[in-house]
Amino acid sequence: MQPKPFILKVLDIVSIIVLAVAAYLALVFAPTEAVMGQVQRVFYFHIGTAWVGLLGFVIAAVAGVTYLITKNARWDRFEVAAVEVSTVFFFITIVLGSIWARPAWNTWWTWDPRLTTAAITELIYIAYFMLRQGIEDPEKRARFGAVYTLLGGISAPITFMVIRLFRTIHPVVIGSQSAAAQGGFSMTSDMKVAFFFSLFAFTVIFIDLMWHRIRLGSLEDKVEQLKLKVSM
Amino acid sequence: MMDIKPEIADNRPQTVGRSSSIIHRPSFIKATLAIIQKDLSAEFRSFELISAMLVFSLLVIIIFNFALELDVKVRQSVTSGVLWATFAFAGTLGLNRSMSVEKDRGCMDGLLLAPVDRSVIYFGKAISNLIFMLIVEAVVLPVYSMLYNVNLFRLDLLGVILLGSIGYAAVGTLLSTMSAQTRTREVLLPILLFPVAMPVLLASVKASSGLLAGAEFSEVLAPLNLLIVYDVIFIAIAFMVFDFVVEE
Amino acid sequence: MEAIPDTSGYMIAGYVFAFVVMGIYVFSLYLRNSNLKRDAETLDSLQAEQSSSSKKK
Repeated sequence: MQPKPFILKVLDIVSIIVLAVAAYLALVFAPTEAVMGQVQRVFYFHIGTAWVGLLGFVIAAVAGVTYLITKNARWDRFEVAAVEVSTVFFFITIVLGSIWARPAWNTWWTWDPRLTTAAITELIYIAYFMLRQGIEDPEKRARFGAVYTLLGGISAPITFMVIRLFRTIHPVVIGSQSAAAQGGFSMTSDMKVAFFFSLFAFTVIFIDLMWHRIRLGSLEDKVEQLKLKVSM
Repeated sequence: MMDIKPEIADNRPQTVGRSSSIIHRPSFIKATLAIIQKDLSAEFRSFELISAMLVFSLLVIIIFNFALELDVKVRQSVTSGVLWATFAFAGTLGLNRSMSVEKDRGCMDGLLLAPVDRSVIYFGKAISNLIFMLIVEAVVLPVYSMLYNVNLFRLDLLGVILLGSIGYAAVGTLLSTMSAQTRTREVLLPILLFPVAMPVLLASVKASSGLLAGAEFSEVLAPLNLLIVYDVIFIAIAFMVFDFVVEE
Repeated sequence: MEAIPDTSGYMIAGYVFAFVVMGIYVFSLYLRNSNLKRDAETLDSLQAEQSSSSKKK
């Protein structure tokens, strides 16, 4: 294992700092929202994690395609790292959204397009890990994983579009108007600062975690190869 | 078990490999038809798969009948949901079986050795899976119509069912090829397939329940369009990536 | 309209949850990393043993 690169060390420290600043901006600096109160502050981390979550899934699909073309194991590690970190962040997004929805919409969950698509997307990537776990040959594992991230990356937006139809045709099911009305609020400039900084902060943290996960991946590969050598 | 193997193995060179000694390959369509023919003739000898799918579908409908208490009022709104859930479950059963048979009897290796493009195997398998699904649907629909006194035989509804089945078989064949090569096999297929096939199922439910509720054709155009878009995209992708899924 | 509803409980729960999950993930990365490093060292020494014993023969 190569020693930890200097830039990564710097990035670690920067990540911790920006996370602290983002938390400060969200919890203290941003004004309290007038209708929903304190819980609205959850929104900053909700959007931050959602952004990197989606970014990671897109990166994973692109890395998957690149792997299929180049057959370079590096892209597979890249893909796994992106999916894993994104799955964690996306899970946070969903739970934060749910926590916010309880006081705002008076329910933990509604079958709204965004919520449903988020849940299905999360399930796709959990299935991805189950698929990988079931395959022993690393090369085959990488190939199947790449194909599956590609399928998932394409079907998720279509799922979103389909579920939207359920609501536009049946506005009575779960009040779309009330949800939109209770969910919307306009941001003041201080809120915008917290909002954009949280996007930036999570991007930095995402890159940092992904880098660590990639390094972990190459260590995994190394150990796997050593095991093969020793057992022979 | 053992006596089936040579039978199937004999079947293949006759149809697929006939022209392998000559330089030119069998044409795409001819080779695809050969694979479909192989699957169908193997199936029509025993009816193993179709009968299992059929009995399973009927059982699912019975369970839904009591779970949802399908009285006249409820029936109106849930018929398409019940039908699609049944088709999806029965579909995974068939997809699992048709791929694991290929794996277990070593036919997949034979197919891969055949001098044809890999996508031929995909289309052959996908179309025969589709045919199995359609056969099951062709039995389930009249039974359901009879049991619940709803007329399901309308051209537009059948069109939706066909489009939905095409999408489901297209993704399902690709994913079952993958899951058949994993350690957990049968267990894994629905977990892989359902979230990815969600658009097909939801759009089909949406379109068919709209039609059953007597909506105008223009009203169900939106889910129908998405269904067609999904079918086209996923057939194209499966066509492109199938090579990577069967490579050894 | 009544005053701003007190929803700070939800907010605290949300942030605690976010930090806990991130913490668990970072810890799992650390744990997996150190386990793998240990494995790698053991395997390295095993391999060295094997090669030295095969030389003797």
